Amino acid sequence: MQEFDVVVVGAGAAGLRAAIAAKQAGAKVALLTKVHPLRTNSGLAQAGINAPLGPDDSPEAYAGDILQAGDGLCDPAVVQNFTHQAGDAVMWLERAGTPFNRAAGGRFDRRRIGSNSRARSLYVDDRTGHVVMQVLYEQFQRERIPLFADWFVTSLALEANRCVGVNALGLRSGSMDSFAAKAVILATGGFTRMYLPSTVSMGTTGDGQNLAYQAGVSLIDLEMVQFHPLACPGGKGLMITEAALAEGGQIVVAGGQPIAGLQGATRDKICLAIAQASRNGAGGVWLDLTMIGRQKLHQRLPQTLDLIAKVAGLDPAKDLIPIGPVAHRPVGGIEAGTSGQTSIGGLYACGECACTGLNGGGRLAGNILTEMVVFGARTGEAAAAYAKSAPAAAFPAGRLDEEKKRLDALISAEKTEYTAGRIHAELGALMDAKAGLLRDAAGLQAARDQIHALKDKYARLRVKNQSPIYNYELVSYLELGAMLNVAEALVAAAAARKESRGAHRRSDFPARDDRIGISHTVVRLVQGEPQVDTRPVVAL
Amino acid sequence: MQANFSVYRKEPGAGSKAGRSTYTVELPEDATVIDALLKIRDEQDPTLGFRGSCLHGYCGDCTVRINGKAGFSCAVKVAPLAAKGGEIAVEPIRNMPVIKDLISDWDTFLWDKIDVIKPWLEPNGAASLDGEELIDDKVMAKVRQAMSCFYCGLCDEGCTVLPVDFKFVGPAALTKASRFLCDPRDHATAERLRILERPKGMWDCVHCFEASEHCPREIAPTERIIEMRDMAFKHGITNEKVARHHHSFANSVRNSGWLDEGRLAIESEGLTNIKGLMKLLPTAAKAVARGKAPIPFLHHKRPGADKIARIIEKAEAKEK
Ligand code: SF4
Repeated sequence: MQEFDVVVVGAGAAGLRAAIAAKQAGAKVALLTKVHPLRTNSGLAQAGINAPLGPDDSPEAYAGDILQAGDGLCDPAVVQNFTHQAGDAVMWLERAGTPFNRAAGGRFDRRRIGSNSRARSLYVDDRTGHVVMQVLYEQFQRERIPLFADWFVTSLALEANRCVGVNALGLRSGSMDSFAAKAVILATGGFTRMYLPSTVSMGTTGDGQNLAYQAGVSLIDLEMVQFHPLACPGGKGLMITEAALAEGGQIVVAGGQPIAGLQGATRDKICLAIAQASRNGAGGVWLDLTMIGRQKLHQRLPQTLDLIAKVAGLDPAKDLIPIGPVAHRPVGGIEAGTSGQTSIGGLYACGECACTGLNGGGRLAGNILTEMVVFGARTGEAAAAYAKSAPAAAFPAGRLDEEKKRLDALISAEKTEYTAGRIHAELGALMDAKAGLLRDAAGLQAARDQIHALKDKYARLRVKNQSPIYNYELVSYLELGAMLNVAEALVAAAAARKESRGAHRRSDFPARDDRIGISHTVVRLVQGEPQVDTRPVVAL
Repeated sequence: MQANFSVYRKEPGAGSKAGRSTYTVELPEDATVIDALLKIRDEQDPTLGFRGSCLHGYCGDCTVRINGKAGFSCAVKVAPLAAKGGEIAVEPIRNMPVIKDLISDWDTFLWDKIDVIKPWLEPNGAASLDGEELIDDKVMAKVRQAMSCFYCGLCDEGCTVLPVDFKFVGPAALTKASRFLCDPRDHATAERLRILERPKGMWDCVHCFEASEHCPREIAPTERIIEMRDMAFKHGITNEKVARHHHSFANSVRNSGWLDEGRLAIESEGLTNIKGLMKLLPTAAKAVARGKAPIPFLHHKRPGADKIARIIEKAEAKEK
């Protein structure tokens, strides 16, 4: 067993930032991650990182845009607090070495992306997340924080409503170990790999949401799943950054006619407009970047140019790029306070796996990275403070052995009719069709039933690979289990919200309905079943 | 479409022998190599080990050799390879120790090497706490270009030094160093150059330009290495053997118009480096025996030496 004050699970932007903050607050920290920090899904964020730093901008104006995108479901106090910290959090990144693009005169250049009312997104070409991740990893290395890369956390260690560490499988050694900690931070990212196609990386499977949910923590606003309007089906959900629109690109239908009214619209509106146009027999919808010209594309969107060529086989300087909405990021997640605290003592959550009430029904474009660094830092500090004052708690004896037995029991040479890959493929298609961009009661009911059936198949599934080292079959199996559980909770939440709001669109309840009360959806696991409640949004 | 794969296999552990497994898979027309590997693992052989993460060509985790050419298994389409008939060979990239099958050891290959070059910014304190530091975008563009590196390892896989000396820090880690050396906000230039001039550092690069040829991001690692060496000279950080070699080389040509090889060997080792000089003796003795010894005190000026000296002067003035 290894012992730390704070254990961080997940090495994306939120996890790294939390680990750095906890270490700087004096805690003994370790970070566990199933994939190396520089391969995490945080690198997907491309267009920019919001901060109200411009002369025409203010925390209040920024808050106004967040509230607008959140469609009435943001917690205004959280938003206000966040927008006042965003500037410092982004400047911290700059001081640590982020080479943001500069305008003439050497000041920060800013992009206006999505429904931001101002040019507010600092950016690094079209690979902002990729470069911010490098800077965070640099600072993480500077702090000399032990990194357990290729470690998969299989369970939380709980003791009297307190989290006292985790059990984890070392993929490289093939052996299990326990990590005792006074505080555990979940920073495991999103879950949209449960949709296929999907813009996200293979490991974005809701592991942290599932750990918290199984431990009795509520999941909030799960039905709010953002689709990305500019995903390229030919590139299997390859996402094209919204910066492409900021640089002059247009969404067009057959004949090259632009779809009107998309300038400055929120993501969900753009997605619906594209879906609508496709249904109206437009013959398809395309992203037209040809007017930008090759030279400017190379200068301003180098990664986009490269990826579209390599992954989708198209030349954006000449070709129209077929696009459609693809599942992108969750907005909801583990119920967490603004310092990441959950309903379990010593258990924290931050970043994309958490839901603090900041984003309400939809995240403002350019906010994901800001959210990760603001809440990452705060959560790291809070967890370190908690670790300092918390009474010592013993790691439950025998828990590691129980966990080893549980995993051993999964491994069997016995043939099953299904494979994890096939169950995943069925789940992905199901979620996309029935719990996707547009939902209705019948579809969600069918989704619920089919997820039950898939869970039955999953219960009979066994891991055939007996070799312990880098047993990715076992990892996929555990990830699939997490996705099935979170999908079930998501579908329950989506069925319960009988209105259309933010990213949640119901064809049977097409309008936002404030009369039923503006509330968060709260899903808790009660006797193995998701139980849905609501919690009113607190006005200022 | 049906495609046949021949995949490199190796069990973990030092003594295990490498082999190959062959698989036939039914795939959709737009399948990539990683789609095939995922399908093989799911349906045919759960023990097959390989890495992958983003699936869309930007994270660098799934680098392998496909039919002898290094690339990303998530970006290489199967159809054109299958159309050629025969088996599609998938192997780990070169120069990297294999842990299991296609899973290579990125720790010793890259992450540990980056760790030694002091991979974080040391702020120069010029910026006020809340003010923006005004920096020309051209300067930042160079930093951004270095940081577009996605640690795919293709430069290291093409490197001609790593196969003979795995301890060489390699072009990818040196590119990381260059990211700090061209960042005006960093103040640790001299310290960085001293780290880089250590054995196995930047002077071990033989500038074969393979790294720059292999880099998919046009980062030009080799050019960056050369630039860092120049930087070291400008900072007077020249006490390393290769730096002494360069100095001696330049001095000889400046003074006599050509190369004094005997002096070059001695000065490169260092006049006080007795151990190093002793090592030269057998080679020198052999050369003398064959009548090929470049005796330093017999070295004389070649005709036109003055002209050559002037060319050097001019070039140096231009440099300044
Ligand atoms: S410098 Fe280029 S080739 Fe080398 S790791 Fe970075 S991106 Fe890959």
